[in-house]
Amino acid sequence: MNNHARFTAFRWRSDQQWEGYVFLLPSLIGLFVFSLLPVLFSLGISLHEWDLLTPPVFVGLKNFRNLFTQDLIFSEVAANTVFFCVAIVPLQMALSLLLALALTRRLPGAPLFRAIYYMPVVTTIVAAAMIFQWVFDRNYGLFSSVVWGVGSWLNAPLAPPDWFNNGFWARWAVVILTLWKNSGFTTVIFMAGLQAIPRVLYEAAAIDGAGRWQSFRHVTLPMLSPTIFFLAIILIIGAFQLFGESYVMTGGGPGYATMTVVQYIYQSAFSYFRMGKGAALSWVLFVAIFALTLAQWQLQRKWVHYESNT
Amino acid sequence: MRAIPDAAQPRRGYSLPDAIVFALTAAGAVLMLLPFAWMVSTSLKSPAEVFAYPVIWIPRQPMWSNYAQAFGIAGFDRMFFNSVFIATASVTLNLLTSSLAGFAFARLRFRGRDILFALYLATLMIPGQVTLIPVFILIRALGWYDSYAALIAPSAVSVFSAFLLRQFFRSIPPDLDEAARIDGAGSLRIWWQIALPLARPALATVAVLSFLGSWNDFLWPLIVIHSRDLWTIPLGLSMFQGQYAVQWHLLMAGTTIAVLPVLLLYAVGQKWIVSATAVATRGNA
Amino acid sequence: MTHKSLWIRALAAGLALMVAASACSVRPVEPAAQPGSDQPAPAAAEKVVVRWSVWGSAEELASHQAVADAYMAAHPNVTINIEHTPWDGYHDRLKTLVAAGDPGALADVIFLGQDYNRYAESGVLEPLDDWIAKTNYDLSDYWPTVIERARVNGKIYGLQRDLDLRLLYYNKAMFDKAGAAYPNENWTWDDWAEAARELTIIEPNGRIAQQGIGMETGKWSMLLAQTNGGYLDDPRNPSRCALEDANSLEAVTFFAGLIRDKAAMTPADLKQIGGDAAAFQQGRVAMIVQNSSRAPTFNAAGMDYDVAPIPIPKGGARVNNVGGARFVMNSAARNKEAAWAFLSWLQGREGGQAIYTRRGDMFPILRSVANSDDFLKLPIKPDNRAAFVVEASSVRLFTFGDFPEYDEMNDLIIEPNLQRIWGGEAEAEATVRDICQKVNEFLKQNGYPRP
Repeated sequence: MNNHARFTAFRWRSDQQWEGYVFLLPSLIGLFVFSLLPVLFSLGISLHEWDLLTPPVFVGLKNFRNLFTQDLIFSEVAANTVFFCVAIVPLQMALSLLLALALTRRLPGAPLFRAIYYMPVVTTIVAAAMIFQWVFDRNYGLFSSVVWGVGSWLNAPLAPPDWFNNGFWARWAVVILTLWKNSGFTTVIFMAGLQAIPRVLYEAAAIDGAGRWQSFRHVTLPMLSPTIFFLAIILIIGAFQLFGESYVMTGGGPGYATMTVVQYIYQSAFSYFRMGKGAALSWVLFVAIFALTLAQWQLQRKWVHYESNT
Repeated sequence: MRAIPDAAQPRRGYSLPDAIVFALTAAGAVLMLLPFAWMVSTSLKSPAEVFAYPVIWIPRQPMWSNYAQAFGIAGFDRMFFNSVFIATASVTLNLLTSSLAGFAFARLRFRGRDILFALYLATLMIPGQVTLIPVFILIRALGWYDSYAALIAPSAVSVFSAFLLRQFFRSIPPDLDEAARIDGAGSLRIWWQIALPLARPALATVAVLSFLGSWNDFLWPLIVIHSRDLWTIPLGLSMFQGQYAVQWHLLMAGTTIAVLPVLLLYAVGQKWIVSATAVATRGNA
Repeated sequence: MTHKSLWIRALAAGLALMVAASACSVRPVEPAAQPGSDQPAPAAAEKVVVRWSVWGSAEELASHQAVADAYMAAHPNVTINIEHTPWDGYHDRLKTLVAAGDPGALADVIFLGQDYNRYAESGVLEPLDDWIAKTNYDLSDYWPTVIERARVNGKIYGLQRDLDLRLLYYNKAMFDKAGAAYPNENWTWDDWAEAARELTIIEPNGRIAQQGIGMETGKWSMLLAQTNGGYLDDPRNPSRCALEDANSLEAVTFFAGLIRDKAAMTPADLKQIGGDAAAFQQGRVAMIVQNSSRAPTFNAAGMDYDVAPIPIPKGGARVNNVGGARFVMNSAARNKEAAWAFLSWLQGREGGQAIYTRRGDMFPILRSVANSDDFLKLPIKPDNRAAFVVEASSVRLFTFGDFPEYDEMNDLIIEPNLQRIWGGEAEAEATVRDICQKVNEFLKQNGYPRP
């Protein structure tokens, strides 16, 4: 019997009916007060023009319509957010998986390495972005120093990228910062997934004559698919909500190169007092994330392998 | 089915691929550490050394006074206390509400459970920016503006924590509660005496994650805190960024002060994080 | 332990937590500053507290403190409580306090650098005209156009503290090393560009060790004013973008050329190092355009520098900024008499104006102070005080936009596209045309020009 069947098979227990609600009460109150109510409030705001100082004016769906028909930079920031999503999610996934595979090999010092790779995760994003602002400094930064060092050693005129004056490189600077900052988290989750794969499966695959690649392809990946699915959801949401990394390090520039939807929301609402526009933008973002997650949830049946209990 | 830990396997010694993997992993680890090394190194530099080229890694004369200055200018002692207090209170409340909710979703059977759970997951997708202004207005209405409560209350409930704990509780064999129920134990008792002790690693994970969230938060305190006495460390860090100039050596001293406690906390708690995420992500999300 | 007693214990624990949480909501100190606790002070004490909010670096804060101390020394019954917030966040905090509808949470006297018109129109600020009339406060000592600029719908809501005059700061040691002549008031853009190129040092591997000019975003736009160009045809009620006009384009191409030759820093590089003052202080750039607020920092660092008037283009005009932050009064101030007394003292010849001036923090807004020894014979750097007088003579109201949506238009349309020119990613003329197309569209969307 698989989990799904088991889930629907049990009967509701009357004695647990009220207990369930009592257990949920504290967090439900918090959820209601600090999430649901504000979300509805913000939905209301999105239908108004409101600068916080004068009374709101109801404008219907105008804020939403404007975003898609006449907004001058919405398409730019939306494209950036898609870029970050497409660049960060697969790279972080691949890097973390490789790292997790390496760290589960029982190398000497593996626990130390794991600890080191996780360190950036616990660092505040403001500090991390400030540090990387220096790493990518064209004239004094760590990266340039290394490139010039190698260049003089090879006696070749190597030129480091001008990270913050060039849109292309600025975007990649944000991607690299994000990977540095967050890969440790995904690695730890991958390691947990890897360690939970029963060794008998590998042994069975070996008996069947499977090589390293085949056992990776036919044992590791399927057994990891729930982890990959979970991470895909988390990472895509994270990429859509990217803000601090680019806001602190590049300020969204140069040009519009690293400006994300969330920064646009923040500026519209808090810098230019367009509460309605900000709220509308945040709803567009929310719906986009929601739709993507729903789509993944639907698709998971096709590729996510759940361990059966029988 | 339980996994056999790798470490239990006998080991034959290291092969060439092992050596290559080790070298790459070690090189990667150095790359991860370099920015931190620069942070510490810069925090001990004189202003002139900060922008020297080639890079000076070890300051000629470590300027420990940068730290004294950081504490002196910004009053870091008070901020440190505030950050610790706020984070601790948030963690405690968060553990309580999340473990109750996670337990209910995983182990109790009641009508509307799945709908409520879907609702919980849906809120996980709300970008925090959506709720920023409404929550601020709410905090004012409650009279909590410029108080510890304004910082603690919104983080007392975390859907992610509840989700994580729910995944963990689902992995506990159902026979355990059934046996306890036959012995006459109620749900609260099962939660307290069976589920929570078993979930210690998951609780530690939730505790560490929510501590970090609270400790590292900057935007929210900036909005709801007004009195200097209530400033948190990230707010204090912004002190160093004056109107025009960035004083990198002081900024990095402050950053080190902000980052060090969480690194220590992580050093202590990391083994729980790994084992708990294992269960959390395996519980058929 | 029974099933029931555990429930009771849990309930008790929950109650205890609630009590703890409500205790947390009580602010730990000084109930005097708590809005709503403003009972009238006992008559016997006659103590008056004036809350004064300011921003500033450690040095700037020290000056504010010195001013407050001087006032308290002269008025023993008054306590000035300084509420200091760093520049980052200062005005955002004001915005949220105002938005939350609790004017009592604002200080009585506020140092305001942004959103003056908005707050004046929405009633947050106290009109000062009656106070000025009642106490015969002298407005004639202000530089021209300053008071005119302070009027919103005919009323004065704030008194400007200083003239935000900008001058060319130059590093004398760098000029000496390069064997270049110091800037003087006859310099044209050509002299300036030549010196900037001379002072730029690029190492063989392409590393830029030193640059000639560092001009922050917003400051380079002074160049536009000098060519009599600008962003818009009318800063208050614009009908079209003027950036593509020939004289505006002259300034854009001049600056783009400097950046292309690495003789001027890009805005991104300036942000990187923490602004033009930081770049100047750290010896990365030889010349910057700044007001006098950074002088104390340069002096504390022992820099060898001086100032000169800003070079002008051939056939162009000298022009400088009449802008500057203001002291305003909260319309919900508890004791308006005391607040006005303090505010007018801050703006008085013997009071705040003299103290800030003597500390070298600013160029005084009162002509009598600027022409006094307090300013001219100030024994601290910069030495060339005459340069200030030259620039002050050219002060006029120049602004690129003075309407509510201006910042949004500048941040979201003009600035990002200019950055692409500076970064060498886009060609100046075509990009400027593109900017203008978007600006015109923005103006139309927001109902400009208004009838």
